[in-house]
Amino acid sequence: MNLRGWIDRWKLRTKFVLPISFILVCSILVVSAYLIERQEEGFHLGLETNGETMVRILAMQAESGVLFEDRQELEELLEKFSVFEDIRCAMIYNREGELLSQLGEWDDNSTVRLREINLSNDPEDASSRDFYVEDSAGAVFIEFNYPVMTRVEKLDRENLGITGGIDPSLTRTFVREHLGDIKLVLSLENVNKSIAEARLTAIILTLLVVAVTIVFIAFIVRFVTKPVKMLVDVTDQVARGDLSQRVHLKQHDEIGQLANTFNKMIGSLQQSRNEIEDYNRTLEEKIIQRTLELEDAQAQLIQSEKMSAIGQLAAGVAHELNNPLGGILGYAQFALEKMKKKSPGEFGDKEVNAFIRYLTDIETQARRCKAIVQNLLRFSRSRRETEFDDVNVNATIEDTVTFVEHQLHMSQIELKLETDADLPVIQGNGGQLQQVFTNLIINAMHASAPGTCITIKSRYSPALGEFGGAVELQFIDRGSGIEPENIKKIFEPFFTTKEVGKGTGLGLSVSYGIIKDHGGEIKVDSIIGQGTTFTLILPVQKPADASDTSKEKLGTQPDAQV
Amino acid sequence: MARILVVDDSLVIRNLLVEYLSDQGHQVDTAIDGQEGIEKALDGDYDAILCDLHMPRKNGYQVFTEVIAHRPQSRFIMTDSLPDELARMAQEAGAYGCLTKPFDLDEVTRTLEKILAVTKSI
Repeated sequence: MNLRGWIDRWKLRTKFVLPISFILVCSILVVSAYLIERQEEGFHLGLETNGETMVRILAMQAESGVLFEDRQELEELLEKFSVFEDIRCAMIYNREGELLSQLGEWDDNSTVRLREINLSNDPEDASSRDFYVEDSAGAVFIEFNYPVMTRVEKLDRENLGITGGIDPSLTRTFVREHLGDIKLVLSLENVNKSIAEARLTAIILTLLVVAVTIVFIAFIVRFVTKPVKMLVDVTDQVARGDLSQRVHLKQHDEIGQLANTFNKMIGSLQQSRNEIEDYNRTLEEKIIQRTLELEDAQAQLIQSEKMSAIGQLAAGVAHELNNPLGGILGYAQFALEKMKKKSPGEFGDKEVNAFIRYLTDIETQARRCKAIVQNLLRFSRSRRETEFDDVNVNATIEDTVTFVEHQLHMSQIELKLETDADLPVIQGNGGQLQQVFTNLIINAMHASAPGTCITIKSRYSPALGEFGGAVELQFIDRGSGIEPENIKKIFEPFFTTKEVGKGTGLGLSVSYGIIKDHGGEIKVDSIIGQGTTFTLILPVQKPADASDTSKEKLGTQPDAQV
Repeated sequence: MARILVVDDSLVIRNLLVEYLSDQGHQVDTAIDGQEGIEKALDGDYDAILCDLHMPRKNGYQVFTEVIAHRPQSRFIMTDSLPDELARMAQEAGAYGCLTKPFDLDEVTRTLEKILAVTKSI
């Protein structure tokens, strides 16, 4: 992995902190090293100067001691210098090189001279030579050598007697005379110790400054990296699809601007996505709705095809049934006629009456079959104007009830009749009305739970209808009720809420047509879960134009009332 | 007492009408389809012809038109299970009546009496 790639992988904070810290540490180290070096030089220079000064003072002080070889005096002199800790040793020699006095131990033979230093530019001090020396243990010293000089006045013998004293006008001649030598050796121990201390202090200070600086930089860098990290986090969440995230930054610098721009970007992105989602959702709803409508239309088409087939079948069946039915009706009537003509003596009165009753029953039921077949033909084929007759509504209801009694009993539903005995006879088609009643009772039965009750009420309303008032009938059940959205559809042809195959969807539309044929009205009131009431208004006198409505029987919608 | 021809492919209807009309004192012949009906109607001299409209081998309307063509004075009562186009056409062409099956015997008697009254008056 190359360096660049490696650096590229660093985190932003590392990229900031590491190079800055590195540069900082390097700078501090260079500066410290320079300063320590300078300090070291200073220390050495100081020690050299001190040594030179001391050795010169010592040389001057030792002048008389060396001159007179007063060892006692020299001893005292050196004793005074012993307070200086830096002095390793001091030695005073006479002109012949004989050691006069000594402070400290020193062995010239065991040391090596490293280099010479030249402090004085004085040419007279040619004998003053200074050296850095190292002993066998590796310790470094500075060795100072300085001559002990004295001043000697040169007097001419001739002059001595003349002058008798010092004549200031005379030129006096002095000669410097070499008396001996001083060797002073200073130890670098203290200096080195000071240098080491300084170095240590410098290192500690450097580390401290570096540490504080790194912490400070890290703290400063947080102002940059924290919002950037926040941006990165939010971007990550946004990339995963959570567009509700926003970057919350209070700063007004470039990162703050970036965050604001980013927020705006996400905002518009979210808006676009919402729009697309809304569009998708409504599209889905539209598709579902259209699909339902299509399914509905298809189901209705199937129903209508089926009804058409059933209609053709019904027409064929009706045609085939009419001949046998004609036979039954005809023979019943024929037999009845003959029976009535019989003289009562031929059979017992009782038996004749019984036969007459049987035959009347056969005739009545055959007529009903005829009416049913005609109704069957009515919505399957061309319609003929309905034949109207006097109809006793109560009796028709009772006939209907006998017809459905068995089914009601099987469904455990009770049927209550609350009929008005004084109903007028109305103009109508008994068979068709019976068909309507049957339909309403069967529907009520299908909606009702076992143990509940269906009530049929009838009453005369003189105020209704054009002439002679009207008969009002109510079919009341305590069943499941009709959904409000279905109320308007129940009279439509082919509308059914029953399972496919259980209801044709024609019952109520045919009923509606029949009631309209009678110039009447059919209304429905329903509450979900409480039950449904169908109300029929049948005028006593059939209005003149009522029969015309038979043509639109399957095509119009009634006014349903919820 | 009249001579009546019953043309119907339904055995039960033929039998019923034969018995009923004979009981009323009429002389009744029968034909079991359209073709036989035409032959018998042209062959005999009937006061009234009760003819079903839907039959095999020529329908009632064909019987009516063919017989009327040769014997314009023939009196037809059409019978039918369905009050359809044929019945309307026959009535428009001069059939005396049309009975929808299943018919009441009273209806048959009433219609027949009307026709016979017309026949006698001629």
